[in-house]
Amino acid sequence: MNNMSPEVALNRISPELRPLLCSVVRNGRVGLDSTNCLRITDLKTGCTSLTPGPCCDRFKLHIPYAGETLKWDIIFNAQDPELPPDFIFGEDAEFLPEPSELPHLVQWDAEDPECLLQLVKELIQQYHQYQCHRLRESSRLLFEYDSLLEDPDYGRSLEIYAGHKNSWTGEFSARFLLKLPVDFSNIPVYLLKDTALDPGEDVALLFVSFEDAEATQVFPKLYLSPSIEHALGGSSALHIPAFPSGGCLIDYVPQVCQLLTNKVQYVIQGYHKRREYIAAFLSHFGMGVVEYDAEGFTKLTLLLMWKDFCVLVHVDLPLYFPRDQPTLTFQSVYHFTSSGQLYSQVQKSYPYSPRWDGNEMAKRANLRCDNPSPSEVTTPRDSDVTGTCWR
Amino acid sequence: MAASISGYTFSSVCYHSANSNSDHEGFLLGEVRQEETISISDTQISSAELLQVVEVHNHEPCAQLFSFYNYAGLVNEENLNKILKERRKNVIGWYRFRRNTQQQMSFREQIIHKQLTQLLGVPDLVFLLFSFISTANNSTHALEYVLFRPSRRYNQRVTLSIPNLGNTSQQEYKVSSVPNTSLNYAKVIKEHGAEFFDKDGVMKDIRTIFQVYSALQDKVQAVCGEVEQSERVKEKVQQEVNKLKQQIALRKQKNAEEERRILEAQNPEPLPTPEENTEPPETSLLSLVAFNTPSTPERPGPSANPPAYADLLSLQDNSLLPSSSSPTSAALLPRPQAVGSPGHPSPNPMGLGLGLSVGSSPAPSPSTPYLGNGDGSSSDSLDRQAAGQEDEDEDEDEDSSEYENLVSEVAQLPPVTINVLAQGRPASLSPDGDASARGSQT
Repeated sequence: MNNMSPEVALNRISPELRPLLCSVVRNGRVGLDSTNCLRITDLKTGCTSLTPGPCCDRFKLHIPYAGETLKWDIIFNAQDPELPPDFIFGEDAEFLPEPSELPHLVQWDAEDPECLLQLVKELIQQYHQYQCHRLRESSRLLFEYDSLLEDPDYGRSLEIYAGHKNSWTGEFSARFLLKLPVDFSNIPVYLLKDTALDPGEDVALLFVSFEDAEATQVFPKLYLSPSIEHALGGSSALHIPAFPSGGCLIDYVPQVCQLLTNKVQYVIQGYHKRREYIAAFLSHFGMGVVEYDAEGFTKLTLLLMWKDFCVLVHVDLPLYFPRDQPTLTFQSVYHFTSSGQLYSQVQKSYPYSPRWDGNEMAKRANLRCDNPSPSEVTTPRDSDVTGTCWR
Repeated sequence: MAASISGYTFSSVCYHSANSNSDHEGFLLGEVRQEETISISDTQISSAELLQVVEVHNHEPCAQLFSFYNYAGLVNEENLNKILKERRKNVIGWYRFRRNTQQQMSFREQIIHKQLTQLLGVPDLVFLLFSFISTANNSTHALEYVLFRPSRRYNQRVTLSIPNLGNTSQQEYKVSSVPNTSLNYAKVIKEHGAEFFDKDGVMKDIRTIFQVYSALQDKVQAVCGEVEQSERVKEKVQQEVNKLKQQIALRKQKNAEEERRILEAQNPEPLPTPEENTEPPETSLLSLVAFNTPSTPERPGPSANPPAYADLLSLQDNSLLPSSSSPTSAALLPRPQAVGSPGHPSPNPMGLGLGLSVGSSPAPSPSTPYLGNGDGSSSDSLDRQAAGQEDEDEDEDEDSSEYENLVSEVAQLPPVTINVLAQGRPASLSPDGDASARGSQT
């Protein structure tokens, strides 16, 4: 029941209500964390048990918000599908939005499939204001919020979740979720083989958790959308600095932003550099090119010949090229190793400098077919050879 | 706060709700009253506890959802009045029924509740939430209900009690304090009530029973009065008897003295030992008489004697004086002798002796020497002689011999006395001639 796929859920919903739920389940993304879709669970019916199905008209909607998941009950009536739904806001029993601030409720239109989704978004906005209001329990955290709000870069993309004050310990916690204003548009397109995992919008979210009202225990975390994460080299590639004690968000967030921006720029530059490198090699060794990565420009394979001796040269460009030197791998077309693989040898000690441009690198690589240097082309030792491939 | 709802109202709400194929709502009608409980204990001065009790008498279901509010939850007062009509002032809350949902007030319910509280002018408007939870295979359905008091913090929940719903194995069937507001009921009672109720609204049977009770009470009171009277008369008679006994004893004493003087006069020598033997009895008799007379235990009689009877007593005393000649006649009686003295017949009790002197009635002298005084006490002559005075209150009825003698003596007394006794006599009989009362008289 809890891990029901959206389609299964839709099939159980009363037919009159299905269009409303479709847009919620399939396209529903509210809030900053758009990677997680809205989910519905616990489908129940308000009709008598004798009513033939499908007739479910009430369910629980899971909404990601500020690092938490809100579980709201939405109650329709299958017998009166034209009527707007009612809501139970889970544990937030004191959250009572003003109906006049919910235009899609006041002018509920059951014929509009987007109506429910829009209403939920309006409710989230109201909920956000309610949580910000609750920050008044702690002046310190309220200051953090107000200072961020003033900055146009961060104020508009902010989600606050103020935890309940622990009446026993007096502890009060809060969660801040910020969308970092970093431009990811120039990052190379990342194509996933699995289309079900639609990465959606490229976004970087900074999640800061205040475990106490005086901001002495602050734990920041950076969440990146999958493509960004992959583009930047995985989750381990990017480390954000710890929150400085006594510091505040308005100083910390720009730091993280800058760090991320730099990283992105570096990656973008790397991409361009790689492209330039490949292009240069293509122009130099155009006839000897076997294949190359035309999207990420991370790989290039050449077939070179020296004195009737053919050799494959694989060029692997690392992510942080040109900082990191590309790897040249020479692979024999004749000889196998004992494990049945083609004999290959990695070569890293060749003239290289990150400051050279692509052409220069191509030249200095000195992979000329007609004048290979002895150090670049070596014949395999007999001990390494198990089989030969005669040309 | 406490709340109660009658069983039939509750079942009616459940019926309406369960038969609707969607959510259902309506209003609760009833009244709110304050109950003050004052408790006094040894440890503290009395403490008063004020409890607000909400009683649900009836409900007004709404025909459909959104019948008195719009999509935004704004209540339309006109529609509200159409639903409630003249029962608006009786509204104490409202209810909602929804299947398979949490027992928590929803967003719209809270908004509506706030408005209803203001519009209806009921600050402590309650909200009753029914939820119907069914298991997945529809084998079990649970009807749950919670009464909220949203005016208080955290939507305080109030316990709703339904009289006679629950474990009644150890309790008797409770009559609910919730009145029956059904119009049909009132009509039927009005039509047929005259057969059972009188003009004051009291059941006729009750009045009849009360009349029987009153009659019985009157009778008991009358009987009490008669018992009292007869008891008083009896006491007076007893006093009379006591007095007469005293007089008899005195007379005997005088007779004895007279005889002694006569004998002394005839025989100046001192008598032998038998006389000495008798002296102690005489002295002892005298001392006993002297002892007995003042301390004769008398039956506790009424403090105030009716004048008539007191006069009669004095008359009796006067009448007894002439009969003081009886001692002279008594002087002719055989001298009382000590019991057990050989050759002398056992002296009969005084009364018996007196009876013999009269000779009017055959004194029932026993053939065997009467050794006792009839009540099992000591048969000593001294005691016996004194017994006429001593045992007055012990053998008033049991010693028939003495009384029989008194009866014969009664014949001697002037008619006045007889009349008095005759008047007193009926006291021994029951006033209504009831045999059972006779036994109780004694």
